[in-house]
Amino acid sequence: MDRQIIRELSLNVDQLHKLTEDLCQKSEDFPAVNRNAKRILAATELLRLNLEES
Amino acid sequence: MNKEVPYWNPYLETLPRESLEKLQVKKFKRIVKWAYDNSKFHKALYDGAGLSPEDIRSMEDVNRVPKVEKSMMRPIQRKDPFPYGDALCVPLDEVTEFRQTSGTTGNPIYQPDTWRDWEWWSECWSTLLWAQGYRPHDRVFIPFGYNIFVAFWAGHYACEKIGCETVPGGVLDTKARILKIEELKPTAMMATPTYVLGMADTARDKMGIDPAGLGIKRITCAGEPGALVPATKKRMEESWKAKVFDHAGATEIGAWGFECEAQPGALHINEAMFLTQVEDLETGQLVTESGRRGKLVITALDRIGQPCVRFDSKDIVEFSDRQCECGRTYRLVKGGVIGRADDITKVKGVLLAPSAIEDVVRSIRGFSDEYEVVVEKKGDVDHISLKVELTEEAASNAAELKAKLQTELRLKTNLGYEIQIHPYGSLPRYEVKARRFKDLRKKEG
Repeated sequence: MDRQIIRELSLNVDQLHKLTEDLCQKSEDFPAVNRNAKRILAATELLRLNLEES
Repeated sequence: MNKEVPYWNPYLETLPRESLEKLQVKKFKRIVKWAYDNSKFHKALYDGAGLSPEDIRSMEDVNRVPKVEKSMMRPIQRKDPFPYGDALCVPLDEVTEFRQTSGTTGNPIYQPDTWRDWEWWSECWSTLLWAQGYRPHDRVFIPFGYNIFVAFWAGHYACEKIGCETVPGGVLDTKARILKIEELKPTAMMATPTYVLGMADTARDKMGIDPAGLGIKRITCAGEPGALVPATKKRMEESWKAKVFDHAGATEIGAWGFECEAQPGALHINEAMFLTQVEDLETGQLVTESGRRGKLVITALDRIGQPCVRFDSKDIVEFSDRQCECGRTYRLVKGGVIGRADDITKVKGVLLAPSAIEDVVRSIRGFSDEYEVVVEKKGDVDHISLKVELTEEAASNAAELKAKLQTELRLKTNLGYEIQIHPYGSLPRYEVKARRFKDLRKKEG
């Protein structure tokens, strides 16, 4: 598969991950946002694994 | 979405071998360091072996990391952080899933998973289900009472992740499950091989329903090796008029192997997520070439709650050098999990795998799917009795079928058996983890 595509997707995942981390940090007293954001973080970590390069 | 994409992960599943192995080494180093830094158990184990995570630089170094056996986990569990003890690598409040092993060989092992681990579990299952042709338009029925064991939970979540309509067939009895299949017309199903055959028997014999007409197109099996035992696979496929696929996994490891739609008579190892090694059964030396059986030692490369690093699975496998026509670069193990090191045993000096007996019994029309093998000492001599059932139609050919079974068993296993024919329906039926092989010599000794 084209490495360029993998890198572009990885960049998007990194942005999503960072955005979700921010969301988590800002929502410690807001469980409905915080816990859902933590689930998204787990999913973005899986996205990273799915695109990981050697 | 392009539904014709044959791979769940078109990037990882087709990586050139060299890149795949580099990725495995990178991940292996990471998980060893993670375990060392976060688990007292792993730190003590590696310190005791004089190993630092930084010592791992190449694939050749993997073997320097001490193996972990199930028996090493038992004494450290049921202690703080309760109930997992010293192998836990995350704060307790990050654990979202509890599962335990079945305890067939001793006290069960508890398995904590974080939500990320659970995403990973369902990702591994998504890989295998996609490879077996599951797509968002499928309706999947899971006729299994999922509970404290991991069986089929991840399959359920993976179906949801893929986008299949998922029907949990939990606390229904077999007849109710068959009626639900008849009503909802699912296209796919997951169960143990034993139960797939048992459901077909119940449908035909007790309900007058032909399972082949129920519309199931694919069945994914787990929990036992039968889906790659040729005669068992054939019986299941004929009974249900469906393609039957195998997969391999374990609570402490994850879903590491899967049969793809090409049905190559082998399991692909999900090598982007797992690192596998095979050890000679007697010498413990690494087996790298194809065609030699050995014991699988496996690492789950991305599981963090309670890492699985160089775990002695006791599964007997054999690498194949064959390139699968599906195009995946993941290595194959021929015939899947051939048996368990605990079960493969010497009888009269001959190495016997129970799956070989199963293949013979189920290849002869006239015998039911059930059988039981008992090995014991009579005086100083090993003695094997094999209990089988004849179907009602075959009852009049008992002598002929018994002789045929005796001959074919001798050819396949080089051993003689005392064959006992029991009335149809009298041997135990199982839903999961059938225990058809009993070696009483261990108790006698």
